[in-house]
Amino acid sequence: MREVSIVGIGSTSFGRHAGTPIEHLGVQAAAQALIESGIDREQIGALYLGNFISGPLNGKEVLAGLIADQLGLPNIPCTKVEGACASGGIAFRHAVLAIASGQCDAALVIGVETMTHAPTAQTTAALNCAMDNEHDGPSGLTFPGLFGLAWRMHAQRYGTSREQVSAVVRKNKRNGLHNPLAQMGADLTDEQIAASAAICDPLQLYDCCPASDGAAALVLVARERASASAGGRPLPVDVLASVQTRGSARIAGHADLCSFSATVSAAQQAYAQAGLSARDVDLVELHDCFSIAEIIDSEDLGLVPRGAGGRWAHEGRTDLGGTVVINASGGLLAKGHPVGATGVAQIHEVVRQLRGDHPNPVRNARIGMTHNLGGTGVACTVSLLGARG
Amino acid sequence: MTDASCTLPMLRCAECGRLDSRQRVICTSCLSSRLLEQAVSGEGRLVTLTTIRRAPTAWRDRAPYRVVVVDLDAGPRVTGRLSPNAPEPTLGDRLQLLQVEGQDLVFGPETLID
Repeated sequence: MREVSIVGIGSTSFGRHAGTPIEHLGVQAAAQALIESGIDREQIGALYLGNFISGPLNGKEVLAGLIADQLGLPNIPCTKVEGACASGGIAFRHAVLAIASGQCDAALVIGVETMTHAPTAQTTAALNCAMDNEHDGPSGLTFPGLFGLAWRMHAQRYGTSREQVSAVVRKNKRNGLHNPLAQMGADLTDEQIAASAAICDPLQLYDCCPASDGAAALVLVARERASASAGGRPLPVDVLASVQTRGSARIAGHADLCSFSATVSAAQQAYAQAGLSARDVDLVELHDCFSIAEIIDSEDLGLVPRGAGGRWAHEGRTDLGGTVVINASGGLLAKGHPVGATGVAQIHEVVRQLRGDHPNPVRNARIGMTHNLGGTGVACTVSLLGARG
Repeated sequence: MTDASCTLPMLRCAECGRLDSRQRVICTSCLSSRLLEQAVSGEGRLVTLTTIRRAPTAWRDRAPYRVVVVDLDAGPRVTGRLSPNAPEPTLGDRLQLLQVEGQDLVFGPETLID
């Protein structure tokens, strides 16, 4: 298998893009990535597009082909992949595989979603398609509800407190304030978080990511074609590992509701693939769809000792300047979560860090990680990226 | 209280004996399609719960309601709801099944039974 590098990135801001067709967001992000890469469109051998619910919310499918049309791509395979919130991460992995296997030398990855135009009831119904509706749907469970179930257990087993979880919210909202791509950065107090509306006990409004519109894109090439620094372009960032795993689609299929087995196995495989350990990771963009998810993910990825996720966040050890920097972008909580775009946008953020070009810089960052989790933990991708130079 | 305990219809694999939900056409352990209906005890232990306050449209008039995860004494783990009449339980409490409609399972505390 050949090694793969990232040579171009692009992104729209995350937030409300009212009236902008979903294709246009994808096209804007992709055009940025293509132009930055300097790769001619004729050399792009495949497009993988991460998107979850363009059908139910926009009445549009064959989205990869629709976007390829507007980008003027050649007659290459253009494929939409879907894995709920992990759609973007899965699209990235497929592009990595296409290059690694020799099917093509360059590939384009796009992640895109638009959600804010739809009534909340319609969005909720569409998102709930990512649940096992033969088993969990009939109980009236929601996605915030799933994380309410997990939080309750985490609190019981490890003593995780409201204050510790609020530290995650405050950190990510604060990081979002300095990220121009972020939808809702804020300077929050514990009191404001604790006073926000109850959603699904113990989750409150500030514990939940917003509905968002946005797109991100990447150009990948075979590493032997990624020249050190051609024509003043940014240095390539190398893909050291790209892993996708499956977990249970049912709540009842999870042996431990304080952990997602798909994350644990994806992280273990990624470390093995890259010949690295959790200690080597300088920063991670992980799937904080809800505040408690960041705590669980940080433990599942091996970055924080099991059960200590809340304490580490509260002690600032996951903040900028901490032991391992988690979600310097603001994460899903503050940057936003245009579902299919998220996995691609996480890689966009890490690439900027590894190039030394990020509004919330992690000093001397060499190794970055991304973690994208879909549905009830049914699909997961983990990537490890390395800086050049 | 007049709530009565009920059993949960499930499927048992005739080949390997695995017990699973009725929403199966083959055994996930051995791929056999010889699945036999079997009712199991609705008694079990509360693993975790949450109170849903912002509900999907179809559930809005029932909110707030409590979703529970229960480990049945018979083995399987299931997702269900807690009866609106039930007092707030503690994780690990004994629960029993009070009502079954398809996969909509309603649990309550054992003490509700006379």
